[in-house]
Amino acid sequence: MTKDFRVLIVDDELDFLETIVKRLNRRKIDAKGIDSGLKALELLEREHFDVVILDVRMPGMDGIETLKEMKRKRPLMEVIMLTGHGSVESGVQGMQYGAFDYVMKPASIDELLEKIHEAYARKVLHEKKVLDSKLS
Amino acid sequence: MVHKCGFRALSQFPHAATLLCGGLAVVLALLGEVVLAAFALMAAGVSFLVVRHLIGLVVKANEQKYRLDQQLIQSQKLAAIGELSSGIAHEINNPLAIMGQETEWIKHLLKGDNLQAPGATDELRDSLREIVSQVERCKEITHKLLDFARKKEPLIQAADVNRLVEDMARLVEKEAAQNNIKLIRGYDKNLPRVSTDPPLLRQVVLNILNNAAYAIGRDGTITIATRQPTADSIELTFSDTGCGIPKEQLDKIFDPFFSTKPPGKGTGLGLSISHSIIVKLGGRITAASEVGKGTTFTIHLPVASPNGED
Repeated sequence: MTKDFRVLIVDDELDFLETIVKRLNRRKIDAKGIDSGLKALELLEREHFDVVILDVRMPGMDGIETLKEMKRKRPLMEVIMLTGHGSVESGVQGMQYGAFDYVMKPASIDELLEKIHEAYARKVLHEKKVLDSKLS
Repeated sequence: MVHKCGFRALSQFPHAATLLCGGLAVVLALLGEVVLAAFALMAAGVSFLVVRHLIGLVVKANEQKYRLDQQLIQSQKLAAIGELSSGIAHEINNPLAIMGQETEWIKHLLKGDNLQAPGATDELRDSLREIVSQVERCKEITHKLLDFARKKEPLIQAADVNRLVEDMARLVEKEAAQNNIKLIRGYDKNLPRVSTDPPLLRQVVLNILNNAAYAIGRDGTITIATRQPTADSIELTFSDTGCGIPKEQLDKIFDPFFSTKPPGKGTGLGLSISHSIIVKLGGRITAASEVGKGTTFTIHLPVASPNGED
């Protein structure tokens, strides 16, 4: 039904990644999972995504660094941060670097779904605004 | 501009006396009253000159006032810029000084056979790490400044503000609980959905909650409340039982670079960014505080979007 937009999940916990992708797919969301920030950035070069769900704490390139790069490359793509430990400092930073929202783990699939739809609505709105300002 | 227009309208009116005397002179001349007509003509001339002179004075005074106003605005602007740039200079100077010292130390370590001394490579690594971290600090400051200057345009979406605030409260709650800080909620269940920019509002709420927890440190409460004081606005309040802000500092807390945190702990941009976000969202943010008792931040937001969208 809603296969008209794509979601990327970035998390180093493979079990979590698999479950969430499966559950989103079951809800007719075109979702793909990847297990590191660097790989996610590489994937963005080849594939298009509208909304990203990004874990804050990951080995190697962490969530905030990944968010910064993502926003630089794809400013209109919306990023929802996923945090397991509720670090306020990273929350403040993430919102400042343009994250759409912060969701605490464990998040219910319904809550996540709602946020994904809100984030996608925002992206559509943003694209329309950019397009309008270019036309006028 | 407003003054000038006002006086132009006024300046057309006083000449009524001149016209009246002139008209009278014409009428009297037609009636054959030459002497009286001459008097009326003279009166018209005198009235004309007097009025022109008075108007000249008023216009001149008015222009002078306008110029002074402009000068005052300009000097206030310059003062603000001066304060801002000294803030930037101060914030950037500290990391620069540290980097300077560290490079001096590295130079010293690289001289002769100092590097052979035990622990020398560790010290070298330490110095480099410090430089990297100071560069990061500078980068963060410039990034925030750019953010400040870019003034991102809000994107308006309908939002459930209770839920939005609660999401951020939950984010803060875990860490706060470790310091025995309790969160008390008083959400108005009938709060209407509001047309606003959700991520920008989240940024403000999170920043205020974070400041509140910082002001308390340990043991205390943060009280969060929402309500709808008028049909077209909502109100959010955040009260902490923290250290409070002295009166003389209270009207500076929204200024860029003003910070009560020790150097390096905050850039002093959090509240000024929050302030500019709330203004952009068509609302206002105020603070009330009592030293030793705590601080309350109050945010008013319009229910309908500031740009008339949605």
